[in-house]
Amino acid sequence: MKAIGQRQWVIPGGHVPGTSTGAEPEFTSFDQVCILNSGDKEAEIEITIYHTDREPVVPYPLTIGARRVRHTRINDLINPLAVPLDTDYAVVIESNVPIVVLFSRQDTRQTANAIAFTLAFPAE
Amino acid sequence: MAHNWSNWSGSLSFTPDKIETPGDEQALRSLVHKAARQGRTVRVVGAGHSSTPLVQTDHLLVSLQSFKEIESYSLSRGEATIGTGMTVEEAGAALHEIGLATHNIGDVDVQTLMGAIGTGTHGTGAQLQNLSAMLTGIRMVTARGELVEYSLEQHPEFLRAARGSLGALGIFTAIRLRLLPAFRLQRREWCTHIEETLAHLEELIAANRNFDFYWYPRSDLSKLRTWNPPGEGSHDLPYAKCVEDKTGWSHEMLPKTRDIKFDEMEYALPAEAGPACFQEIRSRVKQRWRKEVAWRVLYRTVAADDTYLSPAYGRQTVTISLHHNAGLPFQEYFDDIEPIFRNHGGRPHWGKKHTLKAADLRHLYPRWEAFQSIRKQMDPDCTFLNDYLREIFGEPRRDARGGGGE
Repeated sequence: MKAIGQRQWVIPGGHVPGTSTGAEPEFTSFDQVCILNSGDKEAEIEITIYHTDREPVVPYPLTIGARRVRHTRINDLINPLAVPLDTDYAVVIESNVPIVVLFSRQDTRQTANAIAFTLAFPAE
Repeated sequence: MAHNWSNWSGSLSFTPDKIETPGDEQALRSLVHKAARQGRTVRVVGAGHSSTPLVQTDHLLVSLQSFKEIESYSLSRGEATIGTGMTVEEAGAALHEIGLATHNIGDVDVQTLMGAIGTGTHGTGAQLQNLSAMLTGIRMVTARGELVEYSLEQHPEFLRAARGSLGALGIFTAIRLRLLPAFRLQRREWCTHIEETLAHLEELIAANRNFDFYWYPRSDLSKLRTWNPPGEGSHDLPYAKCVEDKTGWSHEMLPKTRDIKFDEMEYALPAEAGPACFQEIRSRVKQRWRKEVAWRVLYRTVAADDTYLSPAYGRQTVTISLHHNAGLPFQEYFDDIEPIFRNHGGRPHWGKKHTLKAADLRHLYPRWEAFQSIRKQMDPDCTFLNDYLREIFGEPRRDARGGGGE
């Protein structure tokens, strides 16, 4: 299969909403990256988290099999450090093979839930 | 030349005056004898996995890395005598080579086996006592530099004190262990919502040789883990998805490799208090700590024992552990949760973070005074007590006794 996408993606506007309403984990507020690896080689990915008040934290390792998609909540990243909720951050995703990255946010701080999503910026 | 020493998580570092690695018992005896004569403190360092300052000293730190042999063993009696410098992983592999195995292993196996025994470290299993229960014989160097032996058969009271003695009675060089024939376990891991786990908790504990669960505070999901003789235990859990199923020798199936370093607080609770304590912690974490805390909470079981300072002394036990990334501030989180543990009758894990001192601890252990009596007989000048252990055991600090401080 053809490897679609780019090797470096950027999400500058990360911010996991700090509270949630409703049953979990379905209605947990989250930031999430959905990554498609359409090619025939496993994607070895490193995520860097940038903060407003300290040096970036790197690497958050992630692998995605050939011809697979993976949804990862930023909330769940703990290796190497948990990402604080209700705090601004940015993400750079670097892969050894071309991938496509969608960023989504579920905000359930109030009962009128909101979902937003956008393609990450394909840097190269 | 003094070298800085740091523990596994990086939360503890200090510079001892010397780190010595004696090659044999005679060399160790000389070191201890000399240090005791000079009024210096001697502490033994293992793998440095403990995150309380059990080994911290400005004086002499002793490594037993040269003591790694299996000295003798008997398959028919189910026992082996091994050097105390072995890690849990090394001991597991070496014992397997001769057809023996420990009855249980904790979630990680990087500690020295003696360090794990001496701090009451445990695995999980309602019918399985902590690792110190294996100890049936000791050869040790005393504070006077003498080499002596004790056995459960001839010195049962001493063994009950020595099994979980935090290195305060002397330096153990060889230990005789009660073991099982090498055995295989089927390890399975399942994912489900925490409410499902709690609804089936009692049956999961009863149905499996080893069972524990993790709770993930940022999703309310849980991971169940079961270990059983192949084909036994929980099979199909309609409320959970099986995500791992593998079978192998016990020393390979029970622990898991952990690349991420963490700090940890753990308390041992009366088993009947476990579910309510967990629910209170879960509620508190969700209410106050989810912003910073993403790491799981671990729930395990341990059988009652009669080791004087065992957190499972005299009662069936549930342990609950908090974890936080090494490098992130943990103190405020742990300090906030610790009163919940204490309100449920908790006893702290000796090797993990806690804030209790002698005035708190003496009320938690029915045989506290019996232990202290034996300790004072064995080490009247407190050669094996650093400042931290003095606080734990209620001894005056060294400088208050005119000893010049550590």
